[in-house]
Amino acid sequence: MLKVAAADAGERESGSRRLREILLDERPHGLIDVVAGVDSLLVEFDCLAVSHGQLAQTIRLAVAGSGLERDEQERSAALFIIPVVVSAAYSPDLPEVAEELGISQEAVLRIMEDSELSINLLASAMAPMMGTVRFPGQVSRCKEPRTNVDSGSVMVAGTSAIIQPFPGPTGWKVIGRTPLTVCDIREEPATSYLPGDRVRFRIIPASDWQGLVGQFLRPAGSVAPEQAQTRKVS
Amino acid sequence: MSATELTVRVKVREAAWLSTFQDLGREHSEFMGVPCGGAADQHSASVANILVGNRRTATCIEIMGGRFTFTPADPVLMAVTGAPADVTVNGQPVALWEPLCVPGGALITIENARGGMRNYLAFSGTLATGRFMGSAAPEARMGFPQQIAVGQDLELCTLYAGFEHPYLSQPLFRLPVPVPAFGGGTWSIDIVEGPETDAAPGIRELLSSRAYTVTAKSNHVGLRLDGPVIHPEGLGEIVSHGVPIGAFEIPHGDELIILGRYRTLTAGYPIVAFAAKASLPLLGQARPGQTMTFRWVSHADAVERYREEQRQLQMLEDRARSLFLAVNLPHASAGNPPEQTAA
Repeated sequence: MLKVAAADAGERESGSRRLREILLDERPHGLIDVVAGVDSLLVEFDCLAVSHGQLAQTIRLAVAGSGLERDEQERSAALFIIPVVVSAAYSPDLPEVAEELGISQEAVLRIMEDSELSINLLASAMAPMMGTVRFPGQVSRCKEPRTNVDSGSVMVAGTSAIIQPFPGPTGWKVIGRTPLTVCDIREEPATSYLPGDRVRFRIIPASDWQGLVGQFLRPAGSVAPEQAQTRKVS
Repeated sequence: MSATELTVRVKVREAAWLSTFQDLGREHSEFMGVPCGGAADQHSASVANILVGNRRTATCIEIMGGRFTFTPADPVLMAVTGAPADVTVNGQPVALWEPLCVPGGALITIENARGGMRNYLAFSGTLATGRFMGSAAPEARMGFPQQIAVGQDLELCTLYAGFEHPYLSQPLFRLPVPVPAFGGGTWSIDIVEGPETDAAPGIRELLSSRAYTVTAKSNHVGLRLDGPVIHPEGLGEIVSHGVPIGAFEIPHGDELIILGRYRTLTAGYPIVAFAAKASLPLLGQARPGQTMTFRWVSHADAVERYREEQRQLQMLEDRARSLFLAVNLPHASAGNPPEQTAA
């Protein structure tokens, strides 16, 4: 696991994102895959093709050659506008989040809508993990993680947000739900977002749910190419 | 090649507790948040494919528990590997870890797996199946279960059209097959130190002196073990970081988790050890109730053992290739240079 030696969390986070880009661009000999952490990068490699020491050296050289500080805005980040329905059923943790932050529920939602988030990494099952929500404090995780949270759930922890792409367990706090499908393995690729892309949440009335439910999330301004196409079922 | 490819229907009659299409897993998927997945016992899955002249990465079938029976409509060349089990062709016992020439219409039974959890079944040729991110391996959570059902007709594209041995009715192939020991009793698993080993004083002695038991909560995400643990101290809240296959996590409760190929890719628990790479196939066979002890080895020794395991696989692959080409059996590399030169 690699970490950028910086005292500042933000620097470590952007540094590890940049490191990930460098390694995926350069694909050093022996590299198998990488897993992004919040402020670190797990490097998986073939230990018969390259030794630990050799790969570490190659990575240091690649970083020295490319620099970790390059302005991240160089890559044209796509913008995603994600509709969210807030209701008692879809937002079970909203009251607790508001209480923990010492603000009203409306204020929590306003901050969610006003923050332009950046996708830091794709977590389990391609879940987009995003920061930074401009909450006045940190949101803690559930004491007892939920065993099954529905797909589309919009969740927060710390000052990050994440969307549950498939039903499953999570300890994040659930404050809303999007009717859109964020990940669909019948699409190629299965998600239209990548790390570095930008996200804005937009609270919509529950009455808009029906018209949007199941639509595949695409960048703002893009037209779905095959709305009517018959879906393959495997 | 002038040989014609045949499509053989393979009728599945009993599908075990769980049987799926499987392969060695996805490449370049973890940077996108999708675990590599693939056969829990990569060694057995590789050998099954090598024994039928396929590339190691070809689609095979992973079988867990109960009984798996099937009938191919036409002759097939197949191999069964993994946990010791009873395999019969038309009621006649046949060996695991060997290429088997099976006549069309035969009833093949795989049952009574013991000492391990999984069997691998490979056929010479290509099994027709869907793929997700380039692999046939299941990714059930994301809607790609790949489960094989009773009554399902598998479609096999094969160049094999039967094989007549000049002297014996069942061909005897003498291949140097590295068959793992699935001995009863306690398994010994090699481990190397992890980032938080030193934060848990006494964990070294504990892991190397006590026996741990696999519990029923184990699955392809990870093995959960019962046994004494020591919680690392003074680490504070650990920020989510990527976790490799074979990581030994100690969560807040008193248990030990060894992460499998379908792990959640990031976690915030301390890692007190890693299973050595050559020990992973055996861990992929561990059943609830299996006991194991751990042995600390150096990184260099862990790499050396893995190198030796891969050398044996390579030798088997070379010998199988020579044999198949000599007796005119189909081989994935026929007409192509050997695989090493491909990249």
